[in-house]
Amino acid sequence: MTLMRIGVVGGGGFGVALARASVRAGHVVTLHSRRDPFGGSARPERLEVVGELGRLADAELVFVAVPSVHAETIATSLGHHLDGRHYVVHVSRGLVGAPLEPVSHVFRRLTPVRRIGCLAGPVSAACLAEGHPGGGIVGTEFPEVADAVREAIAGPTLRLYQTEDLVGTETSSALVGLLALALGYALELGFGPSTLSVLMTRGMAEAARVGVSLGGDEHTYAGMAGFGDLLSAVAGDERPEVRLGRALARGLSLEHAAREASAYVEGVVIARRIQEHAARRGIDVPITEAMADVLDGTTSPREVLEKLMRRKVRRE
Amino acid sequence: MQAPSRAIKRWLTKPMRLPRLRPYVPRPDDPPIFVFNQERDDIVREVVRRMSERCASERRSLDYVLNEVAFEEIRRLEQQRDDEARDSLGFWRSSVRRIGKMSEHERRELFRTISERMVRDIAGNFDPRVYAIATRAVPHLLTGIMKPGSLPEDLSRLGSGPIAVDDLLRVEGPIDALRALGRVGTLVFVPTHSSNLDSVALGYALMREDLPPVVYGAGKNLFTNPIVSFFMHNLGAYRVDRRIRASFYKDALKSYSTVMIERGYHSLFFPGGTRSRSGMVEKKLKLGLAGTAVEAFAQNRVRGLHRPVFFVPTTINYGLVLEAETLIEDWLKESGRARYLVEDDEFSQLDRWVAFFRKLAAVESACVIRFGDPIDPFGNGVDVEGRSLAIDGRAIDPGTYVMRRGVAQLDPKRDAAYTRELGQVVARAYERETVLMATQIVSHVLFRHLVRETPNIDLFGRVRHRGEIAMQREALHAELGLVLERLRAMEARGEVRLSERARTWAPDALVDRVMRAFVGYHRKTILTEQDGGVIIEDPALCLYYQNRMNAYAERVADDANLPFAREIARLG
Repeated sequence: MTLMRIGVVGGGGFGVALARASVRAGHVVTLHSRRDPFGGSARPERLEVVGELGRLADAELVFVAVPSVHAETIATSLGHHLDGRHYVVHVSRGLVGAPLEPVSHVFRRLTPVRRIGCLAGPVSAACLAEGHPGGGIVGTEFPEVADAVREAIAGPTLRLYQTEDLVGTETSSALVGLLALALGYALELGFGPSTLSVLMTRGMAEAARVGVSLGGDEHTYAGMAGFGDLLSAVAGDERPEVRLGRALARGLSLEHAAREASAYVEGVVIARRIQEHAARRGIDVPITEAMADVLDGTTSPREVLEKLMRRKVRRE
Repeated sequence: MQAPSRAIKRWLTKPMRLPRLRPYVPRPDDPPIFVFNQERDDIVREVVRRMSERCASERRSLDYVLNEVAFEEIRRLEQQRDDEARDSLGFWRSSVRRIGKMSEHERRELFRTISERMVRDIAGNFDPRVYAIATRAVPHLLTGIMKPGSLPEDLSRLGSGPIAVDDLLRVEGPIDALRALGRVGTLVFVPTHSSNLDSVALGYALMREDLPPVVYGAGKNLFTNPIVSFFMHNLGAYRVDRRIRASFYKDALKSYSTVMIERGYHSLFFPGGTRSRSGMVEKKLKLGLAGTAVEAFAQNRVRGLHRPVFFVPTTINYGLVLEAETLIEDWLKESGRARYLVEDDEFSQLDRWVAFFRKLAAVESACVIRFGDPIDPFGNGVDVEGRSLAIDGRAIDPGTYVMRRGVAQLDPKRDAAYTRELGQVVARAYERETVLMATQIVSHVLFRHLVRETPNIDLFGRVRHRGEIAMQREALHAELGLVLERLRAMEARGEVRLSERARTWAPDALVDRVMRAFVGYHRKTILTEQDGGVIIEDPALCLYYQNRMNAYAERVADDANLPFAREIARLG
């Protein structure tokens, strides 16, 4: 195995987990963060925390683990330092702005980097950081990017698959994020397994319709980046989205709930934009619309559920 | 009578070359294509060598490859039942019988024979004398098509006097930069494709603007017109036979095109593949052969040769399109996608041309060719010296894109990915660089009205409403005024381009103009006027012209028209 120089942008939970996994695999890591996430506690060897993005120029592979609202700022700054030799892989569950632009497109637009990927699927910060068994998927058109990610973080316990459908992976990841939020609500409100199943299956069908309209391939939503990811949430991986959904369902304000989830959750801001996009394109998205209403506070979760279940049953 | 004329046609459409006693002596400032004939044998050899190499590296057994190509060819020729079938079917049949019994050496020989046959059929010719003739004749030919009234009565006056085509064909874009780039690297023009006239118009535009001539792959069906065939063959066009399905042939084409670009021959590809049946600007581009430019760049880099490649997204915009009727009909029938060859469209029928000339006497039409900003194979902008630029204006080395761990490498999968991404970049450039013409804008407002007036029916239902929907002049002018206002604002923001008239004229004058332009151009009447209302006589043609507006429909619509604009936008 070749030793790589790896850059990580973002000192949040996922960024640190990626850095730890890379160090464990024997690579040298430069982590960009505004504050030192290790804050005095033991920082692994071969891991340096820096405050300037320019220091990442030596890296072969750069992981980007920042909320999608910051994607444009980070891409613009990174764009001054990177070129055609770099690979960029992000882990965002967000889509940018009203046109729901995938984060990869933001990087393509604002940096000279072309070899871009998205790490998605059931891979969690915990399994990366601690080396627990798990798996995930790398969406990228470039085989060398998937290879680099595997070399960087995959170990005997972490299986990483590849798909060429990058946009499908990104949209899938974002929409599953939103569904996981809905799942949190449903669990907290005590829905039975059958209702959960209906909600998730219909939600996934909706996600696929939206994703295809954004340029993804239908099959991706049935795979690791879609159902694979969602099953992990249903199976109880207690990811931040589910925790946030639960907290909101208990009637906590968004601010309090977010603190309880202790992570930035993209689903909160994305629901309305997806619903508006779907309306423009004439796509039926009852679950997303319901989520958007609940998050806006215009409807209570219970009313929404009843409304959803009352919908006319059609052929599927 | 049938047989001799067919024989003549067959003879005429075979690639004909003029005899040459002394080889052409190149001059220092000649574009590379001028010495193509001297290099041709060398190129054919190189292409054949690469095909054998690729076949060996893919570890496919030779007898499988040979059987496959023979099988595909026999099947095609048996269906074709034409002169070509009579000539070659025997060869393939006898080959297929022998392959099983051949030694490995004999198989390699057969492989070489077949690839050489194919590559020689593909390879073009470039005759500087024909080029010189064409530079004088083409302007008149184009003038004839666009404004026949101005053709000189006496054909012997061809080549003298003012050339009216200069008024009819406008060329826009960074032409000085392109001239400079043509000297430091290889230009690859990738234009939109709506008419068979495109290659002629673009070829002429390059000539007139003192840009270097290009080689390009022309569909074999274009070679059925003897005059067109003669010029194309001798001006560097190579022949692409879309009927041949064998992957062997596609390999030959790809290798040929790669070698040509590697050697610095400026090239032209229509990345949409065929003419846009719908009239829409192409949105999804697979790039096809244009993708070979990415590989060519990588090949050169691996050999240590730093020869940049510049893609030039180009839009070719017509106020009126000769083949519109066949194209839109084809699209509505959904057959356009599967059909590779429209032998009997307006372009190949001589009587249509004649009728066309006669009818056209007083009508003006125009073509605007717009070159977009050149980009490197990875979608980066370039400066006049040919350096690739990052978004912040920093010069970057395009070679880094084909490197892995600091070493330039060949990787077909990687290049395919770059090509797909480039397709998206080119498609976005098309959208920005499309020059909207009055005919398209007026057709859009009328078609939007048709959509509004015919709720809850599909496109096919709508195009059957012949002569039933009218729009009052006043309403038409008012809506057109709003659309123009928005388009002009969009042009100011760099989202689209407008023709001179669309940019400056008032709505009523534009409508008058379009009504006049449509009269007599097509066999079918598109619009008529009665009692102060404009009647849509042929919704299909109206759709064809308005389809160019498709990508902008939502942006030019006011709130009241937004739902109808969305319906139109969804057609794309």
